Amino acid sequence: MTMHPHSTPPHAAEGVLLSACDVVRTYRMGRVEVPVLKNASIDVKPGEWVAILGSSGSGKSTLLHLLGGLDRADSGTVTFRGEHVGGYSQSRLDRYRNEHIGFVFQFYHLLPELNVLENTLLPATIGIGRFEWMRRQGEIRDRARMLLERFGLSHRFRHRPAELSGGERQRVAIARALMHNPDVLLADEPTGNLDAKTGDTILDMIAEQHRAGLTVVMVTHDQWIAARADRTVHLVDGRVA
Amino acid sequence: MAVYTQLLVRRYLSTRIIPLIAVAAVGLCVALVVIVVSVMSGFLDNLRASGRTLMGDVVISYPVQGIPYYKEFIADVLKLPGAAAATPLVDTYGLLRMPYPGGPNKDVVTAQVWAIEPETFSQVTELDRTIWWKPAASPQEALAMAEDDPRRQQDLSGLYEDAKVLRERATDRPGALLGMHVSIVNQRQRDGSYRPRNSMWWMPNHEITVTLVPISEKGTVSQSNSRVFKVVNEVMSGVFQVDKNRVFIPLKEGQELLRLDEAPIVDTTAVPDASGNYPVIGTSPARATQILVRAKEGVTPDELRVQVAEAYEQFYLQKSADESVRTRPPAAEYVSIMTWEQRLRDLIAPVEKERQMMRILFSITYLVCAGLILAIFWSIVSEKTRDIGILRAIGASRMGVLWIFLRYGLTIGMVGSGVGIALAWLVIRNINAIHMALGNDAPPWLYVTFFLLAAGSAALTVRALTRSRILSVLLWTVATLALVGIGTGLVLHRGFLIWDPAVYYFATIPSEMDWGNAWITAVGAIVFSVLGAAVPAARAADIDPVRALRYE
Repeated sequence: MTMHPHSTPPHAAEGVLLSACDVVRTYRMGRVEVPVLKNASIDVKPGEWVAILGSSGSGKSTLLHLLGGLDRADSGTVTFRGEHVGGYSQSRLDRYRNEHIGFVFQFYHLLPELNVLENTLLPATIGIGRFEWMRRQGEIRDRARMLLERFGLSHRFRHRPAELSGGERQRVAIARALMHNPDVLLADEPTGNLDAKTGDTILDMIAEQHRAGLTVVMVTHDQWIAARADRTVHLVDGRVA
Repeated sequence: MAVYTQLLVRRYLSTRIIPLIAVAAVGLCVALVVIVVSVMSGFLDNLRASGRTLMGDVVISYPVQGIPYYKEFIADVLKLPGAAAATPLVDTYGLLRMPYPGGPNKDVVTAQVWAIEPETFSQVTELDRTIWWKPAASPQEALAMAEDDPRRQQDLSGLYEDAKVLRERATDRPGALLGMHVSIVNQRQRDGSYRPRNSMWWMPNHEITVTLVPISEKGTVSQSNSRVFKVVNEVMSGVFQVDKNRVFIPLKEGQELLRLDEAPIVDTTAVPDASGNYPVIGTSPARATQILVRAKEGVTPDELRVQVAEAYEQFYLQKSADESVRTRPPAAEYVSIMTWEQRLRDLIAPVEKERQMMRILFSITYLVCAGLILAIFWSIVSEKTRDIGILRAIGASRMGVLWIFLRYGLTIGMVGSGVGIALAWLVIRNINAIHMALGNDAPPWLYVTFFLLAAGSAALTVRALTRSRILSVLLWTVATLALVGIGTGLVLHRGFLIWDPAVYYFATIPSEMDWGNAWITAVGAIVFSVLGAAVPAARAADIDPVRALRYE
């Protein structure tokens, strides 16, 4: 783990896949400005599993959103493979999220109108045009089925999220996140809404993907869960401790 | 465009009730506009078609005194490059003494009498088509006729031939053609056929007495003249006012009754001869009050009207310059030369204006569509805020999100328009049948069905009550009351006619779809649906994905 609370951006840092350097993010709640991140920095190396540990309101989800290009920092830099993510155009940022990042959320965030297979296919249907879809549809569907089968959901292809258990929904969400072979999996409290046993299963799945070479950044407030990661970053009151 | 927009739009449409309500609303708005404007367009088309078929393309008119030397003028007209045929007629109002009832006190009715030359009149108008009693054109028609009016099962060829020459050929008596509704005998059935009210008084078996009142050059009423005519046939033009009032008699008889025929001019200032007769000093020519002209194929009525007006000017100048002519034709400025459309202007113009007004008024329904879709989509976007955040997290662009909702509005507009056009087509095609059904008492099976449905609905209300489901109780109660209301309405319903032919000019409601108007309406509904969706769609595109993901 390398931390640069007040240092220069580690853009050129060797072997760093994704990093945030001195990022500041303040939200406005009515007339009040709430600083959420205060010069937080983090470097993530390829193939690393980093846990961001912090209490509620410490800014860990915000940091994850900045790393994933869902939000832009007020100051500081986020870099991916040495490129300044904050400098991306909107369309390049959309492509970044689609091609390089896989998000997993605490509340699964599946689209209720789509079935399991369609939810899993979603990143592919967003990322490619109609003609490429027509050309590669079979191959893409095969990958989605393969992922779902690997996660034990082969009997659930046509089911809607409402018909699934919490664990099954989270497995679909992970399959969706992996659909496009992302470089980084960003998981925001992936077990926060599950019982301990189901949560362990989900963590096992993430660990399996990590062992296969996937870079994982996981936000949690549970130090036992964070313990499964390669290393832990503590976030306290918007700063890396 | 990416595949996910299509997938989501399809799912949003097929898994939710609200968009179906929007589709139904758009469909009803489109159907409403298309039905109303189609019926009005059909009415206008009928009016135009009937105008042309009843009076040709151009009408030269000089009422009461008539146009002298009309035969010479018709000969001039027929030389015009745009004229195909021309015919003289004398039109006036007169009294008809009908053959019924029995006894000396017969019915007397007023009628518009057209004295015509049947051969040339048929060339200009479509008299032949309107003759009602004629033999079947095909075996199928003969079969249909056999089931129809029993009078049509007899050999009608004699009547038909008599009608074409307006004379009873067997006796060479002058004949009269009556409009279908002039007598009280023919009773129109709802299917458009006729049944005799009293077979004994079937008009082609009888005679009528026509009384006309000549009017002098000074505008005073002269001694009336009457003549008996054999009714040779009846005509059905489809225009109620014509069929109710018009009678055709031969031109020669009409001229004689109105004293518009050729007559000697005597010198009343001279000394009469031994028999008391004044010396004849010339001949007053026969006159026609109207001349109808039909245009050649490809010549518009307006073009023909210009040619006819020039020809009349020449005719007048020529006759005025001729010293030997004692009776001069009226000057061109006193003669009305109009196209059929101009003649019917007082009828056509208000209908055109009404149609335009209807279009504008009903176009407000577009705004209703747009407002409805805006409200529905605003609520959908609020409900789907988190989904929008998810899509953005996975990489969907703002334009992609915008397009989902625009496409959603477009689809609702297109499906709604399609439904509306199909509904309008069904209603318009069957508008006379629907009208006929409204005109009858409701059949028992229909209201019994509604009462059975009401009983079922009441049972569901009770079930919902036992389960303490307030919403279900409310909905099923409303449904029960509505079904009982409809059933009771059907029991109490006594047939009534909305489209009274006496009021609406034509015997049937126009049942042709105005496709041009339908497509314009559909496109308008689609555009306004997209406009209604645009504001919520833009709002969706502007949603911050981070806030959206935290949205509860």
